[in-house]
Amino acid sequence: MRSKLIYIIFVVSLLMAGILLAISLAEPVINASGEAHPQFPGMQVGGDGLARFEQIGNLGFAFQCLLLIQIVLLSLLGIPERYRSRKILVYMGGTIVLTLFIAWQMYSTHLQYLETGITSYFLGFPTATAWAVYGTWLGAIPLVILYSVGFHKYIHTPEDEEQYKKLLIAKADKTEQAND
Amino acid sequence: MEAFRQEIIVGSVVVYMIFCVLTGLWAMRRTHNTSDFFIAGRGLGPIVVALALFSSTLSGFGFVGGPGLVYSVGVTSFWMVVISSTGYAVGFFLVAKRIRMIAELRDCISLPDVVAARYGSQSVRFLIAITIVLGVMGYLATQILAMAVVMQAILAGTETFAEVGLVTCVVISSAVLIFYCVTGGIIASVYTDVVQGAIMIIAGALILFTAMSVFDGGMQEASSIILADDAEAIMPYGAAGIMASLGWFFVFGLGLAGQPHIITKMMMNKNMSDNRTILPMSLFGYAMAALLWISIGIIMRAAVIDGVVDPLTLPDDAASMFLTVFANPLLAGVVFAGLFAAIMSTSDAFLNIGTAAIIHDIPRAIGGRSIRNELFWARVVTVLLAIVAASFALYSHFRDATLVAILGAFGWGTFAASIFPVVAVGLNWKGATVPGAITAIIAALLINFVTQLGGYTLPYGISGQLIAFASSMVLFIGVSMLTKKPELASDIDQMMDI
Repeated sequence: MRSKLIYIIFVVSLLMAGILLAISLAEPVINASGEAHPQFPGMQVGGDGLARFEQIGNLGFAFQCLLLIQIVLLSLLGIPERYRSRKILVYMGGTIVLTLFIAWQMYSTHLQYLETGITSYFLGFPTATAWAVYGTWLGAIPLVILYSVGFHKYIHTPEDEEQYKKLLIAKADKTEQAND
Repeated sequence: MEAFRQEIIVGSVVVYMIFCVLTGLWAMRRTHNTSDFFIAGRGLGPIVVALALFSSTLSGFGFVGGPGLVYSVGVTSFWMVVISSTGYAVGFFLVAKRIRMIAELRDCISLPDVVAARYGSQSVRFLIAITIVLGVMGYLATQILAMAVVMQAILAGTETFAEVGLVTCVVISSAVLIFYCVTGGIIASVYTDVVQGAIMIIAGALILFTAMSVFDGGMQEASSIILADDAEAIMPYGAAGIMASLGWFFVFGLGLAGQPHIITKMMMNKNMSDNRTILPMSLFGYAMAALLWISIGIIMRAAVIDGVVDPLTLPDDAASMFLTVFANPLLAGVVFAGLFAAIMSTSDAFLNIGTAAIIHDIPRAIGGRSIRNELFWARVVTVLLAIVAASFALYSHFRDATLVAILGAFGWGTFAASIFPVVAVGLNWKGATVPGAITAIIAALLINFVTQLGGYTLPYGISGQLIAFASSMVLFIGVSMLTKKPELASDIDQMMDI
């Protein structure tokens, strides 16, 4: 997994590009990207939500899931290879599961509203939107915690700092020799 | 106090501008060479870097364009904001440590310096420098125009300065910007960012409280008003739809780690370990300031639909109308000062990196070495760059909006597509090659330019920026895999192992 990470990132990138192509070629829907509000200038409306999802809803959701996975994979790429322990892989896997769960809750409650016309509210927004606003924002918090709390263990350890200082000393010696 | 609303607002803005001038004078004494001018001598503390980072991220767009976009397309615009936690996290994981190390190891003072060191290629340096110059011109022109338009609107409400023209406003606002950038370089820029960041945090929190009190039922009542009018506008993907939302999610999320005016600040902290506190502090600041973006947009859309406020002529009037109708004069003064602060913090960052690209990176890429008296010429080019950008701004306003619109396309999305793969991925993957980097940058520039210039509209709200970014990622990794594995310089090779 560790040394193959860039290949996984590449495959995910290709899948995302493929989905974009598929969406571009899908049957067009009139109000897919919104239309002018009939009454208020400058405002747009989305209109028929179910119609907008009919052709590309699942593709769009798949794109979103791949993007969430890619975010965690890229974060993992930023952790030096020797620190990508089983513990870290499980943590990152858990983060992917969490963010996908949040995305699914958002998508499914949105579809539920489109079918029933009924929604509850959470902290000021319809439930589906609350999942998008609060859930998406909070979904990255495990990454923030890992970086801040685990900085000296997984990002830049005291041993790393020693190695880095040796590089700087070598640079200083080289500069001194060049001046001589 | 209501009778003195305009005077309070004007006074707040004037006080802030005087502060900028004094900061420039103070910073001038601490600026002795180009390292000080461009990266503050790598001697900044964590609070300064954190506030500077998020201030540079949130330009005037966060105060004017953002609320206007929420007013226009509803929740779609939220995706630019809610992705902030992800964007910052990815940026720190991929860039913060390595850019700081490579900057000290190779005495880099700019982002093109960093890529030249990483790839051992002047071609990659040159392309990144050109990307920066193109993006800076567009960004700066729009920021200067925004500053002048807002200044004119504020002064128009006073008796003494009611007839002040746009050109005068461009001159005044540019003069303050140029003064503190020329005298104090990035040191003046980041220390004004500290105050700017504090103002934006306070403004965001106060605006949220004010917005919540507009309707008796708070944000929920506003949401239900919008829901009754058009459900899609308040549902997760907003009026512009799923692909517009996810496009912004992608470009603004991952793209943050490709913004030169943001990631160059990661070269400036004194200690590597400061990054562990800089990340959460930046994120907190951004989240607080972004409350303004979301709350004003939603409340104004609901207020117009409900008949509380007359329909807006332009979506971008959402913030100023909100402040006029709902905010007390002191709060309005703080927010307008915050607006100028936000525009200036992004403008000074762009001015600095644009100057570095012109007098430091392009000469090195073409001629192989720096020019003499670099600090002197840095100051000269800062002035010239601001004047050219201001001229573009005025030309676009009075004659032809196309030019700035074209250059404006070379904005966040182009930086994201051109720079993210090359820097963020490239600093963490030894297999990244020069052909891969060159292909990614050229493809990103071409796709963004062609889709904007050609006025192509893609189905389902897919943006040219999204296509460019997705393409550059695939091309960067794919071409690198197909081309010969590079032999890295010994120190770079060892640095990438740390």
